[in-house]
Amino acid sequence: MVPPILKELFKTKKLDISLGIFIGMVIISIFGSALYPNPLAVAGPSYRPPSNAFPLGTDDRGRSLLALLITGIKNSLYIGVTAALISLAIGVTIGVISGFKGGVTDSSLMLITDLILVMPAILIMMLIAAYLKERNPLFVSLVIGITAWPWVARAVRSQIMSLKSREFMYMSKMAGLRDMRIIIEDLLPNMASYIFMAFVLLMSGAMIAEAGLSMIGLGVTKGVTLGSVLYWAQQNDAVRRGLWWWFGPPGICLIALAASLLLISTALDEYFSPRLKGG
Amino acid sequence: MSHRGKSLKKKLLSLYGNPFIRFVSRRVGFLIITFVIFLLIIFALPRFIPGNPLATLLYAIREMPPETLQLKQKQLIEQFGLGKPLEVQFYEFIARLFRGDLGTSYSYPGIKVVTMVFTALPWSLGLLIPASLLSWIIGNLLGALAAYKRKTLIDNALLPAFLTLTETPYYWLAMVLLYIFAVTLKIFPTSDAHNFLYFPSLRLTFILDVLWHWTLPFLSILMGAIGGWAIGMRSMVIYELGADYVSYADSLGLPDRKVLLYVFKNSMLPQITGLALNLGTILGGALITEIVFNYPGTGFLIFRALTQLDYPMIQGAFILLILTLLIANFIVDLVYAYVDPRIRTGYIGE
Amino acid sequence: MALLEAKGVKAYYYVRQGQVKAVDDLDLAIERGITLGLAGESGCGKSTLVNTLMMNVKPPLHLVEGTIVLDGKVISNMDRSTLQKNIWGVLVSLVPQSALNALMPTMNIEGFVKDVIRHHMSVPDSQIISMTKKRFEELNLPVEALSMYPHELSGGMKQRAVIAISTLLNPKLLIVDEPTSALDVCCQKQVLRMLIDLRKTGITQSIVFVTHDIAVLKQIADWITIMYAGKIVESAPTDDLLNDSKHPYTFSLINAVVTPEPEVRKRGLTSIPGEPPNLLDPPKGCRFHPRCPKVMDVCRSVEPTLVKIEGNRIVSCHLFPSES
Repeated sequence: MVPPILKELFKTKKLDISLGIFIGMVIISIFGSALYPNPLAVAGPSYRPPSNAFPLGTDDRGRSLLALLITGIKNSLYIGVTAALISLAIGVTIGVISGFKGGVTDSSLMLITDLILVMPAILIMMLIAAYLKERNPLFVSLVIGITAWPWVARAVRSQIMSLKSREFMYMSKMAGLRDMRIIIEDLLPNMASYIFMAFVLLMSGAMIAEAGLSMIGLGVTKGVTLGSVLYWAQQNDAVRRGLWWWFGPPGICLIALAASLLLISTALDEYFSPRLKGG
Repeated sequence: MSHRGKSLKKKLLSLYGNPFIRFVSRRVGFLIITFVIFLLIIFALPRFIPGNPLATLLYAIREMPPETLQLKQKQLIEQFGLGKPLEVQFYEFIARLFRGDLGTSYSYPGIKVVTMVFTALPWSLGLLIPASLLSWIIGNLLGALAAYKRKTLIDNALLPAFLTLTETPYYWLAMVLLYIFAVTLKIFPTSDAHNFLYFPSLRLTFILDVLWHWTLPFLSILMGAIGGWAIGMRSMVIYELGADYVSYADSLGLPDRKVLLYVFKNSMLPQITGLALNLGTILGGALITEIVFNYPGTGFLIFRALTQLDYPMIQGAFILLILTLLIANFIVDLVYAYVDPRIRTGYIGE
Repeated sequence: MALLEAKGVKAYYYVRQGQVKAVDDLDLAIERGITLGLAGESGCGKSTLVNTLMMNVKPPLHLVEGTIVLDGKVISNMDRSTLQKNIWGVLVSLVPQSALNALMPTMNIEGFVKDVIRHHMSVPDSQIISMTKKRFEELNLPVEALSMYPHELSGGMKQRAVIAISTLLNPKLLIVDEPTSALDVCCQKQVLRMLIDLRKTGITQSIVFVTHDIAVLKQIADWITIMYAGKIVESAPTDDLLNDSKHPYTFSLINAVVTPEPEVRKRGLTSIPGEPPNLLDPPKGCRFHPRCPKVMDVCRSVEPTLVKIEGNRIVSCHLFPSES
């Protein structure tokens, strides 16, 4: 039995296309990784443009760009999801506590949030990553995750504050339920849609952030991500040497992933906020 | 209290009652706190991160020839005050900051960090300021257009374009533009801010040369930043179009373009706040874009410093960048306080 | 000739689930020189009706059928730009339900007034300001308000300012939608005073006062029309309607009002059982029949028609069958 909300959502073309692109890429990356288990292995001659043997050409060390790309998508997705979960956890927790408790707790938490909001995430990430010698994907996710949460906290806080004054909240409070229970049973289910949208947006941003870090050489120290491929391309002056197959496809994949996630989030947003639909 | 003291106190209190002054002083206070916290982070990071990078560095260079080793050790100890208690280290750090001393570069011995950063900063600002402002203006206009033409072909085509554009990293756009216009079509130069054979001066040829080199980096940042503004403005305008003042003005017979102007005016206000919030992101993207072009701005400077582990340079560049960013934030806040009548009318009083 | 004559007006909202028949086959005449109170429960279609009467009809609302003649001009087939230039603000003005939010926060009163007048007349700014100042004085509004922004004005002041702005061009018909609902009693009095002055000085000819609060109509309306579920059920001079209502709904509505009179205590308050119908799918026959205390069999299947009874009064109820 397909829930009516899904039926309604799928009527939107925007959602279908973007969802299709995203899921398609996920599947390619998972199955592709099985086909190309060792992307860092030297597979052929260097600097070759796309050909039958190497559909996306080779890089400076003769590695197949297609293999690198597929693994790169997988790892970028991994970092995207992990960083998004970290940001979500921090942002939702702070937002809920701040919105629910109010008063001094609220003011101080929001002050911290605003401080981190003003500081440019990239600079902070660069700083932290610069002093870390070994950067595994989890570390990178962590660095991204702890700088991306402020807007989530703020948004969650407003939602909580508006929910707080609704009737069912008074009922629970009068029934003497403990705070934690109210949060879990009353507030969170009402925010489920919003939290999901926030997750999608966070994931999109995290993948872009990872690529940015990699471009300065502060990405993962071992392993392949879309960002690393772009980094190697830049280090080897791929643009000026005309090696378009090196920097083109990774960028396109990155944009496709991030943009499709953004489109999904927008379509969901339009569905849940009737005023945006213009009724 | 003496008579003069009392009237001064009254004057200060009345000043504080003014919403404009209140707003501005609150923002200044906040930005100062941000800067202080940032300084703390800069101070703490190299000393507290697991694996103590400074100790690692000292250990890594132990194999070096004695003279270099001694020099490097001396630099490190002097620069970071290693060996002294933490409070002293921090005090020296702040004191030096106030004197405008950010140390000397490791990679370019003898050259002060401030000198190098201040040489690079104008190039970055030359890209950032026009690109941020123009992308904000154009993005907002396009967003308003898309909102006005909702449910028509224009909006249905523009919206996905904006969404895709906003997720396109500036530096990748840079690569594409560089490839198409510089490498393939050879219309624009492939790197640097100006032809090295030209001596910097205010002669027209030099200025034109600089502009010629500036175009592609500028366009990359411009195009990359437009999408975000357009999307935000579009949502704002769609929301405002349903506002009560819109239907009222409409019912009094005011023409559509006039009502649209009202909506635009009202939607711009939060967009100014948005500009302040997004300055940091645009800055970050622009820095990485410089790398693609070998453009001698602060981004390229930081990149080189990171590669060479030139810690004083990394530290100094970050501090000055943040300072610039906070000042820019403050300017935008001032503009907002002036433009929003709810804050500005503090002057007129009630 | 009546100032406004509407015949057979059908205004429906086209929504995903179907058509919401907010105004369904309605006839209405507004005479010159009266204040007409339009009353009914929330959701009965009053606001839709008055918007339709001035042809302020935007999707999803559509004027499906009917003609509307205002001051001799047929406005139901005019295009939007003609309406904007010649009718709205000039012949008829609507003060909306949310007048407190009707003014843009980023413009002061003066600025807005200039825009409104400039669009309809070409007159130098200085003249606009002096005209407005004079009008404000006439209507007992402080002239200083002109240079203020909406957030600097109190609720009552905003409401009166909006009414003043709406009547700057002396529209013959002024429609006010729930002008007193959001205000406290002393502000209500000022607003009513202003409306009376507008009629007295001849600035407007007729006023339509839309409300769900019948008590206030007693003080200001010459004639009251009661609406229910998109239809007019009764229309009569104020005193006649309040003291001797004919339609069961009107009767119940009046009895549900608290007034500071001793009989109320004896009589007690009666509320009307049930809820207003869903206009997507209104009940067959008389729309009030599910809640009517005097319901008869015919009410369940046949819609009553508007019938003229003593002295221009109109009722739509099977208790008053038409002579045909």
